Amino acid sequence: MFPNLNLPGLQLPDLPLAFPMGGMDIAFYVVAAVMLFTAICTVAVKNILQSAVFLIFSFVATAILYLLLHAEFIALAQVMVYVGGVVIFVVFTILLTSHLGEDAFATKIPRVFAAFALSIAFVLVMVKCILPTPELASGAVSSPENYSGLEPIAMRLLGYGPDGFIIPFEVVSILLLMTLICAITVARKSKDEVEKEKAVQQ
Amino acid sequence: MFVPSITNPVGDFVREMVPRLAEYLPASIQSDTLNSIVAFLVNALICVIAVCAVNIGSAPILIYMERKVCAHVQCRLGPMRLGWHGTIQTIADVLKMLFKEVYAPSGADKLMFYLAPLIVLIAPFIVCALIPFGRDLVVADVSMGIPLIIAVNGFGVLGILLGGWSSNNKYSLLGALRSGAQMISYEISFTMILLFVVMISGSTNLMSITLGQEGTISDWWIFKIPVLGIIAFILFFISSTAEMNRAPFDIAEAEQELTGGYHTEYNGTPFAMFYLAEYIALVTNSALATTCFLGGFLPPCIGVAFVDNYLNMVPGVVWFFAKVFFMIWCYMMVRWTFVRPRVDQLMDFEWKFLLPVNLVLLIAGAAYIVVCG
Repeated sequence: MFPNLNLPGLQLPDLPLAFPMGGMDIAFYVVAAVMLFTAICTVAVKNILQSAVFLIFSFVATAILYLLLHAEFIALAQVMVYVGGVVIFVVFTILLTSHLGEDAFATKIPRVFAAFALSIAFVLVMVKCILPTPELASGAVSSPENYSGLEPIAMRLLGYGPDGFIIPFEVVSILLLMTLICAITVARKSKDEVEKEKAVQQ
Repeated sequence: MFVPSITNPVGDFVREMVPRLAEYLPASIQSDTLNSIVAFLVNALICVIAVCAVNIGSAPILIYMERKVCAHVQCRLGPMRLGWHGTIQTIADVLKMLFKEVYAPSGADKLMFYLAPLIVLIAPFIVCALIPFGRDLVVADVSMGIPLIIAVNGFGVLGILLGGWSSNNKYSLLGALRSGAQMISYEISFTMILLFVVMISGSTNLMSITLGQEGTISDWWIFKIPVLGIIAFILFFISSTAEMNRAPFDIAEAEQELTGGYHTEYNGTPFAMFYLAEYIALVTNSALATTCFLGGFLPPCIGVAFVDNYLNMVPGVVWFFAKVFFMIWCYMMVRWTFVRPRVDQLMDFEWKFLLPVNLVLLIAGAAYIVVCG
């Protein structure tokens, strides 16, 4: 972000200046460090509620990463969906767990070991897949200005043209409507129950 | 380099002064890039201080105002002893609260207990940074203002839930769960009204929403769309009252039932932060109502050139705060006039009345735009 930071009289060692001095790079490393820290806390903390809170901050850090890539709407959607979702999760955790706040979990060593082995294998696969990408060395490629702003995204989501997504969009809305109706049907009282309640009240 | 889209006299002054001051530095570390970075950082610092000043400075004023409004509604005088008409009373109370000892109840989840007040403060501060206080007075003129407001509103619920749960007190937990249910429900209508505003103004940027209402008083969104504007304004008023947990929708606190709700166990500074968040939310919601419906910082012109000239002479900030304080006065009058509904009545009202009305309003607004716009 600060190109050609030429400070005469200040002898810097022979480093690729654009890399460590770029403001975007510094921001990326800070945000990535926060994200990793909160992600580790999410799995390491014993209490479910605390891990939910760390999960939220990890999601927020991800949203900031999206912002750094100029994907504003995705970032806001990330915060909107996940903060709301985790809040609901917190409500259900409080409602459904009886021993919340006590250190109830004690994982056994073999399980910890298996988890470590699995995650290390996963990391290895990811590194193997990502490393050959040629753009990796030159930093993340951010989308052009206003490419993923609200208007372009809306125009494409509701567009009829060859790059429009109107049909998937409408199908998703039908799916959501179905889940809503299903939830209401499951939660609704049957006629017998209503009559019983009325009898009790009288 | 970062170039702010809205130029502002203060920012220009800083950008002008930094190179002049930098001339006193040794020549070896002078550069234009460095100057612009320093000017940018100084401007950012000024923005942060301005947001904090508006937020924290408005709280004592609002507390004083709430006491006076409440007292006069109940035919009392309110605080009268300290200072002129009790003006120093709130400052004394704030000082008392800040110097209290801070402690958590035994068995409380310490981390969550002290984190909750901080989380509650996130949303009001971010929203305050987005609001245009004048033609060139806005901290963050982002293109997606309204989605950002909707996104950060979720933090308020989270903070209240965490505070209620981590206090290890059954009244706090009950209050927190009630408020969680209430705020999640009313967030839907709140969001839908903002969507209505976005639809009729055609923009999600708060500055262009304001500038779209330029002209006379009949160009404000509340009057521009014949009946729908007033209905939308009333719905916004109701759902934002519920969103802020203010009476008559204060079932989260409900001091007669729950001894204070989610902040029963808080004292000293953490309690002050919950209190502060409540009052900043009052300011930001009034400011949102002003921006979205009442023309923001635009003067209430009436179309007569002679009067309008005088009205235009008053700076926009004054009009903005006049409208904001009028809205706050309305919220306070509602608070001290109506009685609190029961929990189930509140939920019925949202899901069986407000939400359908909102949906109809959205469709009617779209029809209006298609037919008349």
